Formats: sequence, structure tokens, C-alpha cells
Amino acid sequence: MSIDCKNLEQALREGEQGTAGELVQHVEACASCRERIRSWEEISHAARAMRRHWESPTLWDRIERALAAEGTKSRFRRGWGASAALFSVPGKRWFALAAGAAFLFVSLGTAYLLLRNSPRPAARLLRPDPDFQKKILTENALREIEDSEAAYIQSIEKLSALVEPRLDKNPTPLMVSYREKLMLLDSAIAECRANISRNVYNAYLRRELLSIYQEKQRTLQDLIKEN
Amino acid sequence: MDFETGSLPRNMLTLWPIQKEHVLGGRPAEPVSFQEPDLVNGCRQGNALAYQQLYKVHGERMKSIALNMLNSVPDAEDAVQETFVRILRSVGAFKGEAAFTTWVYRILVNACYDMLRGRRRRRPELQEPETDWGSIDYPAPAASDHPLRLTLEKSLRKLDERQRTVFVLFEVEGFKHREIAEILNIPEGTSKNVLFEAKKTLQRFLAPACRPGGTSHVD
Repeated sequence: MSIDCKNLEQALREGEQGTAGELVQHVEACASCRERIRSWEEISHAARAMRRHWESPTLWDRIERALAAEGTKSRFRRGWGASAALFSVPGKRWFALAAGAAFLFVSLGTAYLLLRNSPRPAARLLRPDPDFQKKILTENALREIEDSEAAYIQSIEKLSALVEPRLDKNPTPLMVSYREKLMLLDSAIAECRANISRNVYNAYLRRELLSIYQEKQRTLQDLIKEN
Repeated sequence: MDFETGSLPRNMLTLWPIQKEHVLGGRPAEPVSFQEPDLVNGCRQGNALAYQQLYKVHGERMKSIALNMLNSVPDAEDAVQETFVRILRSVGAFKGEAAFTTWVYRILVNACYDMLRGRRRRRPELQEPETDWGSIDYPAPAASDHPLRLTLEKSLRKLDERQRTVFVLFEVEGFKHREIAEILNIPEGTSKNVLFEAKKTLQRFLAPACRPGGTSHVD
């Protein structure tokens, strides 16, 4: 094969300069090609000095904020998401799982016991109470409250219908925790409703039931966001 | 990926977490190795730590690429931020046909293109921002400097977007043509041709400067 300056062009295009023996011989003999290769390589050397490094102490914070803002529309999680990362760390999975479950049980258990052991509204009613009449609802007020409770129940049922398939589909530790919290809330609702059925005019019990419904609604909404 | 300053195995990102979340039971965290699929899954789940690790490993290179494409430190940082938001938005659609990191750099390059187009829309009279290269707070070069660097940076602005991108990815950042082909979604041969044309053009611009003791005509 006869080697000439055109072969050099092809070799440069392919990025193979200096690899073929005959081409090397040609370059050694041809001053023009030699100069061309020298300036070609000079550009590559100068280009390496264009790689830049500089400190950006606030950039990650900015990115994190932008991701969190975007995450309100999608899936980015700073709190539970970050904790959930532990579950994917090799070798730490069991520890993180156990720690998470223990923390959840302790906090929810404490809350439940506090709720259970607080003075029973029914017992309070047995004691003389100067505001007794204020705590007893009138027929009209009772109807209004029952209507708003029905609206809550309807909203909760809609949310539950959205959430339950996801709970079943994703048996992650986070989802299991949510499921347990929902069961706890359901049990508190059932107990409260049982007390109300014995005393339908008790305003305190109604408020308590309402707050549990609100908590369940919030939990379901959080779950929808998590998904 | 095989870079000039070191090598990262393609499917293994060795990460050294410094976050307190990784300190369990009061003991210092061990180095954590995330396989690329774990990183992808973390990003899919919206896991903040996965994004942080991605930033730790690739943030510097992303900033450098963006700076050489946009010629502005604030714009480069905005492009990196935008890249992360786009990753969060579209990681669900990542099918794994290319390496995840290649896909990430593709998003970065597209974010830079969009910013360049935005600039042209806002200031149509300018093809490129008129940067005062002598006075801007431009980060110092990481490697030892080269007498041609400044002239090369000016000349680079005269290339079209694709030539500049291929040149930056290959010559500045050390990507291979195979990787560039994946990032830009072009055939490998096209990447080689574009680089050749870019260097040929640069060689013309730099001809006087390339001679020992010479100065270029690039303004």
C-alpha cells in the first residue's frame, strides 16, 4: 500500500494516528504531516487543561430543594425516603428493618395506650360537672355532626379505595408501617363508635371520633403522596 | 467508565457516604458499594441519598461539561440542577438500554442545549454570550495549565453545538466514542467524524498559536 498525506487524514479521522508502521514511516519522512500531527496533539493536550473543578458549596442544597419541590409532584422523599435507603444497604438490612419496626411500634403503642388510659368520657359524665349541659348535644346539633361524620367517612372510603391496592402491591417496610397505623386507627374508631352508641349525645366522644377520622384521612393522603 | 484521571468500573460505583444517616448504632459507616441497578432503583424510588451519591460521583464532571458548553459558572450550575430534576422526572422511563450514567450525561447535554436555545430566544442577536474572558470569575483549570488553553476556549465558541459537545466529551472529559455515541444518540462513526471536523476547524483557528512562540487570530 502506498502511504501518502491522504492516509494521514484518514488515520486522524479514525483516531489511529501513529499505529500503522508504514504511516509512521511516512510521517517521519514528511515534514508537513509531522507538523500537522504535532499541532493535532497540541490541541488534545490543551483540551485536557480545560477540565474545570470549582467549589460549589450551595449547589447540592439547591439541587435537593429543587428535587424536594419536584417531589411534591412526584416521588422524591427526604424523610422516609432517606431512611428507606438504609434498607438497601447490604448487610444492614435486618438492622434497619428491626430498628424501624421497633421505633414505630413504640411510638404508636405509646400513643394508643395514652388514648386508652385517658379518663373515660363516660366516667366523667357520672361526676358532677358544671358544664354538663354544654357537653350534651341537642337533636339539631347531633344531626349536623352525623352529616359531617358521614362526609368524612365517605372521603376516607374513597381514599382507602385508592390506597389499598397499592398497600397490597408494595409490601415494603414503609407500607407495612402504614398498614399497621391504619389498623390501629380503625380499632380506635371502632372503640369510639361503640362508646358513642351508648351515649349518642356526648360531645367529647364526638370530637374524639372526629379527630381520629382526621388522622386517618391525613394518613391516607400521606400514603397517596408516598406512592 | 474509563476516564483519564482514574477509572470507574462500568457497573460499580464505589461510594463513601459521609451522611449521618449511614452511621448505625454510633459506629462509623463502612464504605458502601452501590451497584448501578441499586442507584437506578434508588433514583426511581425518589431516594434522596441515591441522588446525593449520583452528585458526589458525577457532579464535578457534570459541572465541567456544562461550563465548557455554556461558558458561565452560574449557568453551568443551573444546568446541573436542571439535570437532576429531569432525572427525577424521567427515571421511571429509563429502560436500561444504555448505562445509567450515560443516560444521565445525555440529560445533562440536552439541558445545556435547552439553555443555549433559551439564551438565543432571549437575545437573538447573540449566537453566543459575549463573555469577557479576561475578567470573569472563571475557575482555575484542574490539570496543569497549557499555553493554548485560553485560545482554545475562545475558538471552541466558534464551533457548532455538536462539534463542541463531541470535542468537550472526548478531548476534555475523556469519554470514548462508544460512550459519546450513546450520550448523543449518534453512530460511533459519526462521533469520530464530528471530532475530526471539530479538530480540523480548531487547527485552522489555532494555526499561528500552534507554532512555537506564535499567537492566534481568535478574538
